[in-house]
Amino acid sequence: MTDLLLRQFAQLRCRRGVLPEAVCRYVAGIGSREGASTSLQKARFVVFDTETTGFDVQNDRVISIGAVALEGSAITIADSFEVLVRQHGVGEKESVSVHGLLKKDIASGVSEREAVSSFLDYIGNSVLIAQHASFDIAMLNRLLWEMFRIRLFNGVVDTASLAKRLEKGPYHNLAHQAGEYRLDQLCQRYGIRLHDRHTSAGDAYLTAQLLQRLLAKGQKAGITTVGSLLMQ
Amino acid sequence: MPSNTIVERVAADLRKNPPFCTLDALLLEDLASSITVSYHDEGEVIFSKGDALKASAFIVMKGAVRLFDTIDGEEVLVDMCDEGDIFGVRAIVGGTNYLLFAQVAEESLIYDIPVEKIKSLIAADNGVSNFFAGEFAKSLQEMERTLSSAFSQRHQRFSQQSYSSFLEHETLEVKPVTSVITCSADITIREAAGIMAESNIGSILVASPEGYPLGIITDTDLRKKVVALPGAVNERPVNEIMSSPVYTITGGKTVADMVMLMVKTKLRHFCITEDGTPRSPILGIISEHDIITSEGNNPAVIMKEIMSAEGVEQLKTERDKAETLLGVYLGQNVAVHFITSIMTEINDAIIVRSIRFALDAMRLEGLKRPSAAFCWLSLGSEGRREQVLRTDQDNAIIYADPLPEEAESCHQFYLDLGRRVTGMLESAGFVRCPAEVMASNPKWCQPISEWRRYFHQWIATPEPKAVMHSTIFFDFRPVEGDASLAGELKQGIFELMEKGRGFLEFFAKNALQNPPPLGFFRNFLVEKSRDHANKFDIKSRAMMPLADAARVLAYELKIPDFLGTVERFGKIAVLDPTLKDLALEAAAAYDFLIRLRAENGLEHSSSGRYIKPESLNKLDRQMLRNVFSTIGHIQQTLNLRFQLDYIRD
Repeated sequence: MTDLLLRQFAQLRCRRGVLPEAVCRYVAGIGSREGASTSLQKARFVVFDTETTGFDVQNDRVISIGAVALEGSAITIADSFEVLVRQHGVGEKESVSVHGLLKKDIASGVSEREAVSSFLDYIGNSVLIAQHASFDIAMLNRLLWEMFRIRLFNGVVDTASLAKRLEKGPYHNLAHQAGEYRLDQLCQRYGIRLHDRHTSAGDAYLTAQLLQRLLAKGQKAGITTVGSLLMQ
Repeated sequence: MPSNTIVERVAADLRKNPPFCTLDALLLEDLASSITVSYHDEGEVIFSKGDALKASAFIVMKGAVRLFDTIDGEEVLVDMCDEGDIFGVRAIVGGTNYLLFAQVAEESLIYDIPVEKIKSLIAADNGVSNFFAGEFAKSLQEMERTLSSAFSQRHQRFSQQSYSSFLEHETLEVKPVTSVITCSADITIREAAGIMAESNIGSILVASPEGYPLGIITDTDLRKKVVALPGAVNERPVNEIMSSPVYTITGGKTVADMVMLMVKTKLRHFCITEDGTPRSPILGIISEHDIITSEGNNPAVIMKEIMSAEGVEQLKTERDKAETLLGVYLGQNVAVHFITSIMTEINDAIIVRSIRFALDAMRLEGLKRPSAAFCWLSLGSEGRREQVLRTDQDNAIIYADPLPEEAESCHQFYLDLGRRVTGMLESAGFVRCPAEVMASNPKWCQPISEWRRYFHQWIATPEPKAVMHSTIFFDFRPVEGDASLAGELKQGIFELMEKGRGFLEFFAKNALQNPPPLGFFRNFLVEKSRDHANKFDIKSRAMMPLADAARVLAYELKIPDFLGTVERFGKIAVLDPTLKDLALEAAAAYDFLIRLRAENGLEHSSSGRYIKPESLNKLDRQMLRNVFSTIGHIQQTLNLRFQLDYIRD
């Protein structure tokens, strides 16, 4: 119920004109989210990934967000998203080289506020999908809380958990072989060619292709509606 | 704004396949951002026959899709699409409904390309429009027509019985490029490359202050010596990478000289200086390209050497040289017609020379030459002037009917000639015919009356098997001796066919023995009705059906000339307007096949007959697929024309 309260609080501040328009559009749109019985063929999914300066949800920063949408289980290239976040003092840390982002790229990005607002506009009320989603969601939620005192209200599916659920059954003990559900491993297992690893958009595109295969597999296991996918 | 990373990824995937591989980068990115990526499980139907056309065409990025039709409830496979293949293009070319089913054969990743996008690309880009309009074959035909008119002029010269016309080009001078662009030895590689790019030239001479040639830098040098090297090579002086010394010659060299020089030195650029040495000023430059494209270029030297050869060993040497030249020609994309005509002339010259050797030797041995004239016949592909590579010998001797008392001695004399000549040809590298269809076989060294009897037998009482074995005889062509004997024989055959009309039907039926495959799927041939094979017999599956069809039609239309398949189709197109388009298409198809076979043969030092699908590039595969469909049409046409469905075995 906290979600509902947070949304009402946000809407109140929107009426007072305290929150930016993009945030208000997002909060208003979430209310018209499609129900649990919506067919997966009709829903819009946004598959996304964030690149961060590290894995500390409290202190690390988001340096890029990449995403691509699926509709009717087809990836729509035109409906994709990529943004670099300007972060001062970033560049010394180790993960930056992993992401292949240069200091100057990051310096050329947009502000955190702008990045997150345009992302909210892009996702709307769609179901969010990410590999190891809890981390990316937590990162974005921290930013949203700092800036607007809201969080993401969308339904969320983690592709790693979905793969586990489909491969091992819904009640499977989550203890598993280390690495078995890493994106590389999953892509290999599902015959997806690895490209553009470690850029947020590249990983999002790979995750989207993974989702297509998981949805096809899920359909045979009776997962045909948004509700059954979200295990609501 | 869509994600750059993702758009570029999709663009990179598209770029791997025709027609997108040549597309301008901006157009390609625009196309990539309009795509939707769909995943399909095995068994899924993407569209069905009769469905309304979708707003997209499809390209298989991974997996496989089968296209099939149903006829009387039976599935008939039409094509298998694998990575890079486009299907559902009916939505682009028009119509209202799909004519086939498309079903996923292996789980597939498919790019859906909006039809509107393709249509605008067709308007914007030539490569794409050619591709989708199925213009492959058509543009080839255009080229074909211009080539064949050029060829027929050339051919008229060749067909005069003497070789003098052929040799007259030997004195033709190769015009060097005289406005030579040079640079000094101390400028940087970057500067030299800049000059080359600016002047749009493939090579630049490095000259001393006095204008003497020091070396040369070519595109290849830049590729191999600069780009491939690590470090800041760009700023180093040109003399570090130039090829030196330059091969220098004096001016006034003929085509023949230059061809020889090129084959001998394996160099591609020659510098002309005042006195022909590197210690004199540069006057001009001749490149391989100038030699290949120079007016009247032909291997005149080889011909001349053959005609003046002293012994059989030299014939082999010259034929080997010709093969080297063939490689150069194929590499330069020289018209296949030109190549086959040259190779035929060379083969013919070797035969003619061998016959003269033999006749001279027989005279010296005191053997008396009969008064009855003879004619040496080449049969099969050699008879059709289609032997590019050295394949089996197929030949025969026909001689005028001798007086009865001379019959035996005449036969012995010509048989002796046949044995000597086939033996010489063998040592020149032409393998003996395994079926012994050679002039050394008493059966195929006969007077004209006997030859007429043979043909009468084949024509009056045709048996399918006999027809099949006798086809090579119907492609006879006079090479040396009294050509009127061959002409007389051919007229005789027309008369015989007139009487026994049924023969043409058998002949046509024979041309339908081998239906073409449908296309390729990965490294397999896709067949309508047999197991998929992993090597492709280009001779029996593509060339023979076309050659057979051309032969039947040529005899039906009573074409008196001794022609090859391409020329036969050309003539057929003129004589029967209803067949015009198809015949021209078939001519282009056959030309393509000759080239493919020759390239394959040179690459593997074989007859080139068996082609591994994995060695074909995507474009060749697409071309072959078109060729297969042309063969299918030709066979259907023969079927209707001769009402073959009414004849049963």
